[in-house]
Amino acid sequence: MSFDLHRPSSLAEAVALAGLFGPGARFIAGGTDVVIQINRGKIAPAHLIDISLLPGLAGIAATAEGYAIGPLTTYRTIERHAAFQGPLSALVEAAAVVGGHQVRNIATVGGNIVNASPAADFVPPLLTLDAVLDIAGPQGDRTVALRDFITGPGKTSLGAGELVTAIRFARLAANSATAFFKEGRRKAMEISVVCVAASLTLDASGTRCVSARLAVGAAGPTALRPERAEASLAGQAAGLTSFRDAGRLAAEASSPISDVRASADHRRHLVAVLVERALTRCAERIAGARP
Amino acid sequence: MSRRILNVVINGERHELLIEPHWTLLQVLRGQIGMMGTKENCLEAECGVCTVLLEGKAVNSCILLAGQVEGRAITTIEGLGDPEHLHPLQAAFIEHGAVQCGYCIPGMILSAKSFLDENPGRQPTRQEIREALAGTLCRCTGYGKIVDAVAAAAQRMAGKEPTP
Ligand SMILES: Cc1cc2nc3c(=O)[nH]c(=O)nc-3n(C[C@H](O)[C@H](O)[C@H](O)COP(=O)(O)OP(=O)(O)OC[C@H]3O[C@@H](n4cnc5c(N)ncnc54)[C@H](O)[C@@H]3O)c2cc1C
Repeated sequence: MSFDLHRPSSLAEAVALAGLFGPGARFIAGGTDVVIQINRGKIAPAHLIDISLLPGLAGIAATAEGYAIGPLTTYRTIERHAAFQGPLSALVEAAAVVGGHQVRNIATVGGNIVNASPAADFVPPLLTLDAVLDIAGPQGDRTVALRDFITGPGKTSLGAGELVTAIRFARLAANSATAFFKEGRRKAMEISVVCVAASLTLDASGTRCVSARLAVGAAGPTALRPERAEASLAGQAAGLTSFRDAGRLAAEASSPISDVRASADHRRHLVAVLVERALTRCAERIAGARP
Repeated sequence: MSRRILNVVINGERHELLIEPHWTLLQVLRGQIGMMGTKENCLEAECGVCTVLLEGKAVNSCILLAGQVEGRAITTIEGLGDPEHLHPLQAAFIEHGAVQCGYCIPGMILSAKSFLDENPGRQPTRQEIREALAGTLCRCTGYGKIVDAVAAAAQRMAGKEPTP
């Protein structure tokens, strides 16, 4: 097992190198997925292109419509970002349960998205925010919705030599909150058995659901948005009945597998429970933030 | 795939080394330089005994390619203090009897340092300390005293308690 390690100093150079080496090349950011996959013999790239120090791709910026997160932003940076401690706290909650501090100090959110594990923890909260990805490549730049980007376990729509350059999403409406819940077999250092993110918007009185967006991880080949569950909430009174119904519909929409971590039945049960719990937490947060 | 030169600053000292592209920082530290304070175990970033500081932040050296730290600053346990000049964390681990077999301790101390340096002067809760150390396993399971030691060191580093 060996490869050449390249360290381009600009985005253009990185894209050019990737174009030059073609399918034998891989980008490496934090390396927490790539290095382990190489060591396990799952991939054998001839060229690794180190993007970890490329300028301008790390950090979080407020934009006119919302936020832009650089793909090289680490989980620990997300966790500690002041602007994410309020209604967007699902981002903090998801970042805070990835591995331990050592992983979160170096692993990047861009790597989590492109690695496209069905259990990737940072993907569901971004799905509920309708995040889009900016992509640069040999054929030019494009923008794609995250939900269209991940196409299967470990599969994305990324073309040869293409690089994710930003993750963007709009600001939440008034009376909104988000929440993220992960269930593993232990509290830390664990891959999700199931994880769920929710984003809920209530009406001005704080009692009725205007809209809800849900995303479920590790319960299908990709993280999924259970659309019937989301639609079922619109116009309903916010509370146990509507949240439980949404949980049931989300469980029906999921297609989990049985594996060493849990059975499919157990996963489906967890989807229902965690969706209800995440919606409840959103409603509590909206109530708590009201003057 | 050819050997290449790696320039890296370890514990304040400049090193120029000849490495293979697939070598990890852990392999370089132990195999090339002969610094044995950084431990080797799971090799998949699960256990934390290989923890070093990369520009002050705790990372797992077992899955960090040495080539990725070109030009950057690494701190290992050897760089933290010595028997005459213990770092407050090292002193606190000794005082609180937080060391049993010792294998995880370099990783514990460096994980704790990285975490405490994020918010200098602030006293973390025990829960926060436990979370900060979750990526570092102690199979002697002496976690209680390790948390005691980190809490005490945090106080001392914040200047709220004089060094004895
Ligand atoms: C001990 C341990 C615990 C973990 N726990 C969790 C967990 O709890 N939850 C979880 O979701 N994950 C977990 N992971 C997995 C991993 O840490 C995350 O998926 C991480 O976000 C990957 O980021 P990275 O920067 O390390 O990616 P890398 O390994 O550098 O890259 C991953 C993939 O993305 C590609 N890539 C990276 N950046 C870009 C970019 N900008 N554009 C195009 N392609 C890119 C790479 O080519 C590669 O294919 C864990 C890993 C370890 C080792």
